[in-house]
Amino acid sequence: MAEPQSLKLPADAGTQLVFRSGVYLASQQFMRNYAALVGFVILFLFCLAAVLAEWLSPYDPTLLKLSVKLQPPSLSHWMGTDFFGRDIFTRVIWGGRVSLLVALMVVFYSVMVGVPIGLLSGFIGGKLDNVLMRVMDAFLTFPPLLLAVAIVGLMGPDLKNVVIALAIVQVPVFARIVRSSTLSAREEVYIVAARALGASPFRIVFSGILRNIVSPIVVQITIVFAGAIVAEASLSFLGLGSQPPDPSWGRDLSDARRYMSDAPWLLIGPILAIMMCVLSINFIGDGLRDSLDPRTWRARTAKKDQIMVPEGVGTSA
Amino acid sequence: MGTLTYLLRRILQIPVVLVVTTLTIFIVVRATPGDPVELVLGMQTSPDAVEALRVKFHLDKPLYQQYLIWLWDVLHGDLGSSVRLNRPVTQMLGERLWVSLQLATAAMLFALIVSIPLGIVAAIRRNTWVDYVATGYTVLGFSIPNFALALILIYVFSVTLDWLPITGIGSSTTRGGGVWKFISPFILPAIALGTVQTAYLGRLLRSSMIDVLSQDYIRTARAKGLKPLVVITIHALKNAMIPFVTMVAIHFGYLIGIQITIEYIFAIPGMGLAVLTAVVNRDFPVIQGFTLVIAVFFLLVNMIADMLYTLLDPRIRY
Amino acid sequence: MNVQPVLSVRGLDTRFATGDGVVHAVDHVSFDLMAGEVLGIVGESGSGKSVTALSVMKLVVCPPGQVSAGEITLDGEDILHIDEAQARRIRGSRIAMIFQDPMKSLNPVLTIGRQLTEVIAEHLGLDSQASRQRAIELLSAVGIPRAETRLGDYPHQFSGGMRQRVMIAIALSCDPRVLIADEATTALDVTIQAQIIDLVKRLADERDTAVIWISHDLGVVAGICDRVAVMYAGRIVEMGTVRDLFHRPSHGYTLGLLASTPRLDDAEDRRLQPIDGMPPNLTGPMSLCPFLPRCVHAIDTCHEKPPEWRQVADGHGTRCWADLGRYWRDGDP
Repeated sequence: MAEPQSLKLPADAGTQLVFRSGVYLASQQFMRNYAALVGFVILFLFCLAAVLAEWLSPYDPTLLKLSVKLQPPSLSHWMGTDFFGRDIFTRVIWGGRVSLLVALMVVFYSVMVGVPIGLLSGFIGGKLDNVLMRVMDAFLTFPPLLLAVAIVGLMGPDLKNVVIALAIVQVPVFARIVRSSTLSAREEVYIVAARALGASPFRIVFSGILRNIVSPIVVQITIVFAGAIVAEASLSFLGLGSQPPDPSWGRDLSDARRYMSDAPWLLIGPILAIMMCVLSINFIGDGLRDSLDPRTWRARTAKKDQIMVPEGVGTSA
Repeated sequence: MGTLTYLLRRILQIPVVLVVTTLTIFIVVRATPGDPVELVLGMQTSPDAVEALRVKFHLDKPLYQQYLIWLWDVLHGDLGSSVRLNRPVTQMLGERLWVSLQLATAAMLFALIVSIPLGIVAAIRRNTWVDYVATGYTVLGFSIPNFALALILIYVFSVTLDWLPITGIGSSTTRGGGVWKFISPFILPAIALGTVQTAYLGRLLRSSMIDVLSQDYIRTARAKGLKPLVVITIHALKNAMIPFVTMVAIHFGYLIGIQITIEYIFAIPGMGLAVLTAVVNRDFPVIQGFTLVIAVFFLLVNMIADMLYTLLDPRIRY
Repeated sequence: MNVQPVLSVRGLDTRFATGDGVVHAVDHVSFDLMAGEVLGIVGESGSGKSVTALSVMKLVVCPPGQVSAGEITLDGEDILHIDEAQARRIRGSRIAMIFQDPMKSLNPVLTIGRQLTEVIAEHLGLDSQASRQRAIELLSAVGIPRAETRLGDYPHQFSGGMRQRVMIAIALSCDPRVLIADEATTALDVTIQAQIIDLVKRLADERDTAVIWISHDLGVVAGICDRVAVMYAGRIVEMGTVRDLFHRPSHGYTLGLLASTPRLDDAEDRRLQPIDGMPPNLTGPMSLCPFLPRCVHAIDTCHEKPPEWRQVADGHGTRCWADLGRYWRDGDP
């Protein structure tokens, strides 16, 4: 059967079916979600600021200048200065570099370790699955923040250890999600058919199952990313993460606490930054969740008489 | 019979998970550098005293023996003594757990007081400005870390307005001082801790109610000419509450884990700070004991949450 | 003897605001319902039969739907332009409604005793003891054995037919003047269908309750109804007695329905004739007959002006230009 690019419905309909790739349809849906777009832009700006910190920041984040200590926000210091005379705005930008980098690495490691574990567990099943899941459960029965605190406390307060601790805490979450998605994907008819046709497991996993698990993984990544920013801030706040004089949102809030009665503006910068990052990630996550669910894909294109359909439907794929 | 066997299976799984958890912690703790005895006694003490203390805490024996000894003691109800404070762990646990539970309960009460009306009203007035305000609140609630909120609250209510105290939980100064003296130190920490919960739970109740309100049996209830209050509270809520109550139980379990930053700010002698101190001081018995109890607590809460679901839904019960 | 109709509907218009425009779900519908009679409303999904019933009960969800015009009177009193509190007093007590899927229409977390007594208590003001007693009587009347013990049971503990009986009991608990049954037997097995139909007919006779029976199944309608209204695209296109409709169908759609329904006395090789085409788009006003695109009997006039209501015989009317007399037959429907 030839591969039609569009299909005409019976006589009176006058509506055309137009095929587009799943990625295209998903991104179309995403673009329609204004909150998600705004979030995306904001997050992008934060990342940009983090990368270009050296050029964007008006002052040196660690340079002590006691002559201007504890100044309220002014034209020369947009967010004021802290106890050591350091410009807060600068420290917020540099702190963003730390937070975003930590969050990125946490996501990277937890995905790299958690996803294969989940895939193996779900795909192979049996004893391996049992053992792996018991170990994962052992980590899951412990409240995540406390576990991270314990790990960092034991290994020594250092950003590197924060990343390791947070990643360890998230691995079981990813493993579980991937495992359950794999389990349900495995039973899908087209996977069973592929196996019956003798397709190699490698190929099945890559083209078949991965497509299904992409959606929950991506959504979880946004959750983990936002959570890691907050967790890093919490740990640094407790003194377990970033050490002075390195800038870090959590660490700066710990200082802010001490001088709160005299200099309340110390709170504004880091808190605003954290909130904006987390908010934008949440919006992006919501948008992604909607756009990756084919059921919410709105069918109409700009031309009212065309309906967009994912490729692979109705053709001999 | 089905629920009974299911329950039994769940209960039997607990010891297995606990062993794995505590074993993992044990290994990690021992594997990292730092000797508790040295930390406690410092460098000046005589080697004999150090050695004596080490023997007392079985630190001279091989790792696996240490674990088995600990396990044996646990099964006899003995969680050992703190190296640092020289107090029985069970005693410390009692005090700390009690305080943590109080804090968790206060936070959860706050969460319920806010989230239940929020969820119901947002669902009834769906897509109106009321709903948008409510949803906006939940979005903000997710996005602010609890310690940040705590700092803001302290600045506004304690430092500036001086309406509420910062410290006072678990301290002897509040005893015998009347109800307000007892309750007031809980207010700010409860709000700080509970706000994230209000966001989650409010959202959950809202979507639960929206789902329920679109069901046919609500249409039937309306067709019967029942008063709207009756329809909402009895017909709708009873259904929407089932997943909600389960989530409340699970979140209550989480609260114990999240508390640590709040304990730190408000100087609350709870479980989180105890673990932190123990970890930094390599106080092995405390780490092991507290870990075990926290894990048990978590597991129990999750099990109760599961059971709640089966108990509340008559379709599963009968 | 001129008896006043129990329910009188005139020019009912119900509109829904949707993303694609305003949908005229009910378009200028008028009918009378006399005491003790069973009026059937037949039509396909989307024809407006359910919305008509919901409009009578004032159960149309206010945004996005709205009863935009018409008069509805119950025993002579206006029940359309009343406030919500008054409407609530009527619902369940003077007009009652039962729905399609009894499993979904009963609240799964409340006992059926509770779901029965609450209506009784609300409308009849009886105390709990008396309500309970009445509930037991009602359950027995609808044929549920050991009614007293079943009061504490939940809906999922009943079978489909029993659940629908419970719904009937609830509906009839306050002796309503009108009972509306919206596809009440569609979700049930055929054998149970017959039982339920018999039950409703018997109870309605006993209590002199008028019934509106909504269905898309002509066979069921033939079994229970005295008169039938056929609806298409939100309007009544033909109305008459069951005999009238089955023997002397006077609208293209009615003919189409009959042709697509299998009959016991059909020749073995008669092919069912489906009605070609798709259901109409209800947005925007109709300028011509809505059935025109699918009608095989259309004449020139149909393409020129919208059909008007005309009398075919006494008590039998249609909204169709064509003369379909050649399809008329005698004998039993």
